[in-house]
Amino acid sequence: MIPAAITPLADYTESKLSFFPESASTFSSDTDWIFNFISIVALVFFIAIVIALFGFALKYKKAKGQQAESQTDHNTTIELVWSIGPSFLLIVMFYFGAQGFLAHRTIPEGSYELGVDAYKWGWGIDYGKFVIHPELHVVAGEPTKLTMTSKDVIHSLYIPAFRVKKDVVPGRFNYMWFKATQPSEKVATDEELAQLAAKDAETNASWDYDGRQFTPDGYAFYDLYCTEYCGTNHSEMQTVVVVHETREDLDAWIKKYSSRSATESPASYGEKLYQRRGCKSCHSIDGTKLVGPSWKDLAGKSRALASGESVVADENYLRESILNPKAKIAAGFQPVMPSYKGQLTDDDIYSLIEYIKSLNPDAAGPAAGEQPAEGGSEEATAEAPAE
Amino acid sequence: MSVGSVPAGYEVKDPGYPTPEENYLTNSRGLLTWVFTLDHKRIGVMYLVGVSLAFLVAGLLALGIRLHLFAPDGWLFNNEFFKWLAPDKAPNDIYNQVFTLHGAIMVFLFIIPSIPAALGNFLVPVMLGAKDVAFPRLNLSSFFLWVAGAVFFVMALLASGLDTGWTFYTPYSTTTDTSVIMATFGAFILGFSSIFTGLNFIVTINTMRPPGMTWFRMPLFLWATYSTSIIQVLATPVLGITLLLLIAERTMHIGIFDPEYNGDPVTYQHFFWFYSHPAVYIMILPAFGVISELISVHSHKRIFGYRFIAYSSIAIALLGFLVWGHHMFTAGMGPMTTIIFSALTFTVSVPSAIKVFNWLATMYKGAITLTTPMCYAIAFIFLFTIGGLTGLHLGTLATDMHLHDTYFVVAHFHYVMVGGTLVAFLGAVFHWWPKMFGRMYNELGGQISALIVFLGFNLTFLPQFVLGSRGMPRRYATYDPEFAALHEMSTWGALLLGIGLLVALVVLLASLVNGKKAPANPWGAATLEWACTSPPPFYNFERPPVVGDPYEFGDIQWDGASDRYVKVEPKRESVPSETPAESPAHAGE
Repeated sequence: MIPAAITPLADYTESKLSFFPESASTFSSDTDWIFNFISIVALVFFIAIVIALFGFALKYKKAKGQQAESQTDHNTTIELVWSIGPSFLLIVMFYFGAQGFLAHRTIPEGSYELGVDAYKWGWGIDYGKFVIHPELHVVAGEPTKLTMTSKDVIHSLYIPAFRVKKDVVPGRFNYMWFKATQPSEKVATDEELAQLAAKDAETNASWDYDGRQFTPDGYAFYDLYCTEYCGTNHSEMQTVVVVHETREDLDAWIKKYSSRSATESPASYGEKLYQRRGCKSCHSIDGTKLVGPSWKDLAGKSRALASGESVVADENYLRESILNPKAKIAAGFQPVMPSYKGQLTDDDIYSLIEYIKSLNPDAAGPAAGEQPAEGGSEEATAEAPAE
Repeated sequence: MSVGSVPAGYEVKDPGYPTPEENYLTNSRGLLTWVFTLDHKRIGVMYLVGVSLAFLVAGLLALGIRLHLFAPDGWLFNNEFFKWLAPDKAPNDIYNQVFTLHGAIMVFLFIIPSIPAALGNFLVPVMLGAKDVAFPRLNLSSFFLWVAGAVFFVMALLASGLDTGWTFYTPYSTTTDTSVIMATFGAFILGFSSIFTGLNFIVTINTMRPPGMTWFRMPLFLWATYSTSIIQVLATPVLGITLLLLIAERTMHIGIFDPEYNGDPVTYQHFFWFYSHPAVYIMILPAFGVISELISVHSHKRIFGYRFIAYSSIAIALLGFLVWGHHMFTAGMGPMTTIIFSALTFTVSVPSAIKVFNWLATMYKGAITLTTPMCYAIAFIFLFTIGGLTGLHLGTLATDMHLHDTYFVVAHFHYVMVGGTLVAFLGAVFHWWPKMFGRMYNELGGQISALIVFLGFNLTFLPQFVLGSRGMPRRYATYDPEFAALHEMSTWGALLLGIGLLVALVVLLASLVNGKKAPANPWGAATLEWACTSPPPFYNFERPPVVGDPYEFGDIQWDGASDRYVKVEPKRESVPSETPAESPAHAGE
């Protein structure tokens, strides 16, 4: 409870004197103020109690067999005072807490609206027009409203820097809002980013947010966690929040991700969607068995279904599995995949199928070298070159 | 004062030591006399062994958790050894099952039955001055239900594990392919065990008080047990029904909790916490009772504010039913509901605070002996105060938005449950050990264990408050590197805590082998259980005990000659010439 004793450990926080993560929304300072107020009141009581506790234990320590100095066993006045007195402080805490809470619950008119889909184990932020991206991008100084639902189990969206949290419950919409105050700095130049991206493509690694501390677009970020336990990869269900300085900046970013550019091959874009749209949390591309079947050597092969039949994994089967996943369940897997109906454009689906096909060199398509991929981790495996 | 110095007209009463035949441990021999015993003391001892084993298992799982979290990417369960153990499981799955079982075993098999069932069974009738509980057979069956529940938990572990967290939140629990049904059925059975114990105590305390034992002459431990029993009887059935509904949802898709069948998962949370929040008071109220006894006896001073403490136990039991919603501030309840739950939550903190102030006032001007139980009692007040005060941060809505489901919550409830209940349990075991087994333990060893437990505990959980306020979510198998230093501290603390608990265990077990014989009243206490020999005879008392004030220490004197406390009383005439004018301050009307 003594900040000074623990501050050497506060390595990543902005202020080395803080108990808290960075303060980056209009809620932060209010919450911190109330937190500190309660902490100070608690500390005052705690110190008094500890002084009395250890003080009495030492002062009235007696040898065995001694009698106590006094046997006074009640004093109604004192008891009423210490029962009723602290209650006033509780009322103050309750009042400020409730006020702060109502601010969380009162969503301003005309907020910038985003949709949030949570699933095991990732986030899809819906920017409209089929732009769904795992990173949450917002504008500084503008209230942002999130309309959130879950595809499977209960998740909870938590942005420590904004001091906001709300459960994301399947079967209903939960709302939250915040106004970010501190824009994210752009900390890497485009050349550096291009180099890193090339390096990642070489080793087939996904972007290392923790190691690099900036997004693939070069922005510093705030952490976004899932805080309601949701199974195997609960602790990996993280994403980042980027705060743009202006709306134009944000729109430019959205546009960048809005669709496949004319020059990009479908398979290459499909790989991006694989990373971005949560496929990779359940489907490996190196043959590892995750929650869902691996995509390696999938396209064009016959596969057993849970119903006992078997089916050839052609384009139509893949398309059906994306849009109506529970129609044909692969043997040995649970029917847990949510439907992507209405969430992917036809071109997105086409790109994903092309990507899956590119993972099976034997299948029809621009087959190329077969790089060894056995036993490697998800990151370290080869990917069939499609470009 | 030695016996020789007893003033004229007084006589010394000391039950002395039991003969081998007349103590409950030895009056009949053989395993079957234990298995089919109806003696509340033997059932209490069997519970003590059972819950201690459960605690050992859950404690080792906790160490596993802490060792795993030593490194950001997970250290322990990523080891080769565990890959061999569970080849087709991800390391995260092993971690998820370990923390689930740690929580479930700790809560259902240890914390809830520890003080009420193990110590309560032993102590309630003796403190009350009764021969046994009201329904001895029901009592024995509650123990075997506990065993059956434990067996189901072990079966769930061996079948396909359990990875839902101890709360079994839907719809995760209705969709995961682990042994949810086996575990929930185990918890369901344990619920009956808990209800039977509570029912038994309520009837015992209501009907079996000997002449003179008025409500306000009952030791505060009995008040605490009584309040606890009320909660057990009223709240546990809700858990039972909820778990049955959960099983029905899983097997028949009845559509109550699972949104896929038009259910509402938050309904489950309401049902679950309607039991489990009062259950928090099943866990802590008996600890309050224990501490009231310990502080008073080892300060040799009347408990301060007896009635306030007694009433506050009842108040906590009743208010505890109204605050379950504070577990769901972020779940999306209506704003007004949320605010009302927050307000109610604050009201329940007042009676807890009253108790702390009363304990301190009891120590004031006392004659404090720093025995092992007193060391644990002091540790309890320190730790419980932190646990209680950090509850304010969580009851306050704005700060709860930030802290809910983070390590701040983990630290808070461990301060209450471990720093509170476990430390009180240890203090109680050390306090009543001589009575239960007739042996004194090594005092220095006990004090050292209390110190190590205290230091280890704080080193484990203080850093977690900081982790939580800095945004580290709970139940994470891996975490961001910026939290690593605090997690390391916490892990070292857990190891130290483990050592402290081991020392306590060794000290207690060693006393059985080479401990000094315990006198009837080693601490100079005035409650009735110290009026019979240690260990007590089969029927507790030779003849109905004379009930006095449980906190009147004036006539308990240290007798240096025989090195023990004795009771000094006015010589009784066969026909008293006059009745004593003053009655004890707490004597009932």
